[in-house]
Amino acid sequence: MTTDTHKPDDPPTMHDVDKVGSLFVVYFVVLGLAVANILLAEFGHLGNLSLPVQLGIGTVQACLVAWYWMHMRRGDKVVTLTAVTALFFIFIFYVLVLADILTRWRAAI
Amino acid sequence: MSIVIADEPRVAAPPPPEPVVPRRNYLNTEYGVLSWLLTVDHKRIGILYLVSISAFFVVGGIAAGLVRLNLLSPTGAILTEDQYNRMFTAHGVVMLFLFLIPSIPAVFGNFFVPMMIGAKDLAFPKLNLASWYVFMIGAGFAVYAVLVGGIDTGWTLYPPYSSRSHTNVTPGVFGVFITGFSSIMTGLNIMVTIHKMRCPGMTWGRLPLFIWAMYATSFIQLLGTPVVAITLLLLLAERVGGVGIFDPAIGGDPVLYQHMFWFYSHPAVYIMIVPGMGVVSEILTCFSRKNIFGYKAIAWSSVGIAVVGFLVWAHHMYVAGIAYYSALLFSFLTMLVAVPSAIKVFNWLATLFRGSITFHAPMLYTLAFLVLFTVGGVTGLFLATLGTDIHLHDTYFVVAHFHFVMVGGMVLAYMAALHYWWPKMTGRMYSDFWSRASATIIFVGFFFTFVPQFVLGYHGMPRRYPNYPQEFQIYNVLSTAGASILGFGYLLPGIYLPLSLFFGVKSPANPWSATGLEWQCPSPPTTFNFDFVPVVVCGPYEYAIGVDQLGRGLPDPPGPGDAASPYRPVGPAGPIHKETEVVG
Ligand code: HEM
Ligand SMILES: [Cu+2]
Repeated sequence: MTTDTHKPDDPPTMHDVDKVGSLFVVYFVVLGLAVANILLAEFGHLGNLSLPVQLGIGTVQACLVAWYWMHMRRGDKVVTLTAVTALFFIFIFYVLVLADILTRWRAAI
Repeated sequence: MSIVIADEPRVAAPPPPEPVVPRRNYLNTEYGVLSWLLTVDHKRIGILYLVSISAFFVVGGIAAGLVRLNLLSPTGAILTEDQYNRMFTAHGVVMLFLFLIPSIPAVFGNFFVPMMIGAKDLAFPKLNLASWYVFMIGAGFAVYAVLVGGIDTGWTLYPPYSSRSHTNVTPGVFGVFITGFSSIMTGLNIMVTIHKMRCPGMTWGRLPLFIWAMYATSFIQLLGTPVVAITLLLLLAERVGGVGIFDPAIGGDPVLYQHMFWFYSHPAVYIMIVPGMGVVSEILTCFSRKNIFGYKAIAWSSVGIAVVGFLVWAHHMYVAGIAYYSALLFSFLTMLVAVPSAIKVFNWLATLFRGSITFHAPMLYTLAFLVLFTVGGVTGLFLATLGTDIHLHDTYFVVAHFHFVMVGGMVLAYMAALHYWWPKMTGRMYSDFWSRASATIIFVGFFFTFVPQFVLGYHGMPRRYPNYPQEFQIYNVLSTAGASILGFGYLLPGIYLPLSLFFGVKSPANPWSATGLEWQCPSPPTTFNFDFVPVVVCGPYEYAIGVDQLGRGLPDPPGPGDAASPYRPVGPAGPIHKETEVVG
C-alpha cells in the first residue's frame, strides 16, 4: 500500500500521505480480527492452543496499527529505535513480574 | 585533555559588549490575559507552569503543615483520624503529581531547553500549550477530589482498599490519569527538541548537562507514564465497573497493582530528581569557576539512571508477598541504581575541589542539595537491603528517606534553579541578603524536620498513623518545630521574589558570568530568544579559559565596587583564579 511516487527508502515529504482507502482497509481488517478473536474465545474450544492463537491474533492487530496507522513503515531509524525500546521495556516489565509470580510457590531459601 | 596552570586571571577572548536592552521582550510584546492563555511561546508557557505549580506547592504545603501539627500530640492534636488520612493523601497527591513531577521539566525545561541549545522555541509549541491545559484539567479533578471530601488511601492508591473506599478516589485517580498525559507531552516535546533543534556546533558532546538530564527525564516520562495510565484505568474499571483485577474478593491480585504502579512510580522518582541533578551541574561549575569534572560521566550517568531506574521497582514490595527470589533479585538491582547517583556526587565534589567558590543563593541551595541528597541516597541503600527493609518498611524511616531526596534534593534544586535563572526570566535581581537567608533557614529547618523522623522510624513508628506512644512525642515535636522553620524559609522567596519584580535592580544579560547560551539572550529574552543563529564553538563549561559557548570572553560579574543599591548582586570572581582542568 505504498504510494506510487515514492520508494520506501525515500525520506517522507509533505505529500507522502496515506490514501484514505488504504487506511480504512486496515481499519476493517483490525476490526475483523477483533471480532474473530471474540468469537474464538466464545466458541473456539481450542483448548491449550487458545492462548497462543489469541495472543497471536492480537499481535497481528498491534503490528497492523503500528505499521500503517502509526506510520512505522515510513519512520526513520530513530523512530524505529524508539518503538523497539518501548517494546524492550515492556519486555523487562513482563520478565521481572513473571519472575515474581512464577516463583511465589517456592519456600524461603 | 590537558591541565592549564595559571596564576594570573586570564581572558582568552574579549567579553562581548552588553547587548542593547530591546524595547520588546517576551513579557511585554503583548498584554492581557488572553495573550497569556493563548501563547505558544515556550517562555510564557514556562511562566504559566511556574504560577500554577507554585499555587499547588502552597496547597500541598498547607496539608503538610496540618499533618505535622496533628502529630504534636500522641492522640492527634487537631484532626480526627479520618481527616488525618485525607490530609496526608492530599499532601502526597498534590506534591507529587502536581508539583514535583512537573516542577523542573515543565518550568525550566520549557523555558531554558530551547535557549540552551540555541533554538527559538520547542519543536511543538502548540503541543506545549496543550500540555499546560491538560495539566490544569487533570489538576482540577485531583484538587477537587482531595479538597472537597478528600481521599483516604494515601498517594499510592493501593487496592483493594482504593477500589472499596467510599471517598473521592474516582475523580482523584482520573485527575492523576489526565495529568500523566501532560507529562508525556512535555517529555516528547523536549526530547524531539533536543534531537532536532540544536543550533550549529551544538553537538551532543557540547550539550549542557542540564540538557542531558532533561533528555534522560523525557525518556522516563515517555516510557513510564503510559504504564501508570493503564494501571489507573484498570483501577477505575474495578472500582466503577466491578471488574475483578486487583481486589482478591472478586478474583484479582493486589500485588499485581503494586507491580504496575511501581513500574512507573519508581522511575517517576527519577523524573523528579534527574532534572534537579542537571541544575546542580550547571550551578556548581558556574559558582566554583571551574570546568565540570567528568562531563561524560555525569551525562551518561543520567542516561544510566533512566535505564536502570526501570529495573528496581519491587524494592517497594519486599514485604507485600512477592517471591523471596524476586525480592533478592530486586535488592541486588536496587543497589545498582545507587551507582550512577554516586558517580554524580563524586564528580560534583571533584568540581568543587580547589574552585573559587562564591556563596550566592543559587550556590547555597545547590550545596544544600549535595548534602541532603547524599544522605537521602545513602539511607536509600539501607532500605534497598532486603533484611533491613523488613524492619524499616512503612516506618518513618522511609518517610525521612524520601523527603531527604525529594525535598532536600529536588525542591532545593528547584529553588536553586529559580534563583539562578530568575534574573534571566524576569530581568530583575532579587535581594542578595534575603535569598541567602532563606537558603540557610530552609537548610536548618530541613534538618530539624527530618532527622528526628529517621530516629522515629528506626524505633518503629509506622508512617500514616495519627497516634503514637508517649515516648515518641519529643521527636514529633522536634520535627514539627523544624517544619515551621522550614515553612518560614519557603515563605521568604514568596515575598522577595515578587517584590524584586518591582523593586529589584535590572539584571545584565549575564549576571553570574556563566558560559551557557541562555546567557547570550538579553534579560528578559525576546520572543524568539536570539537575533542571530548562534554558532557554538566549544563545550559548555569553559570556565578555566573563561569563554562562553560562542567563544567570547566572559563579562566581569558586577562586583562590590559598583554597589549602586543594596540589591546589587555580588557576582562570582572573574574567569579563573586557580588551576583548572580543561576538557575537550
Ligand atoms: C540512591 C538511590 C535510591 C535508593 C537505593 C532508594 C531506595 C528506596 C527503597 C528501597 C524504598 C522502599 C522503602 C520501603 O517502602 O520499605 C524507597 C522508598 C522511596 N523512595 Fe527511594 N531510593 C533511592 C533514591 C530515591 C530518590 C532519588 C527519590 C526521589 C526523588 C526516592 C523516593 C522515594 C519514595 C517517594 C519512596 C517511598 C514511596 C512510598 O512508599 O510512598 N528515592 N527508596
Ligand atoms: Cu523506589
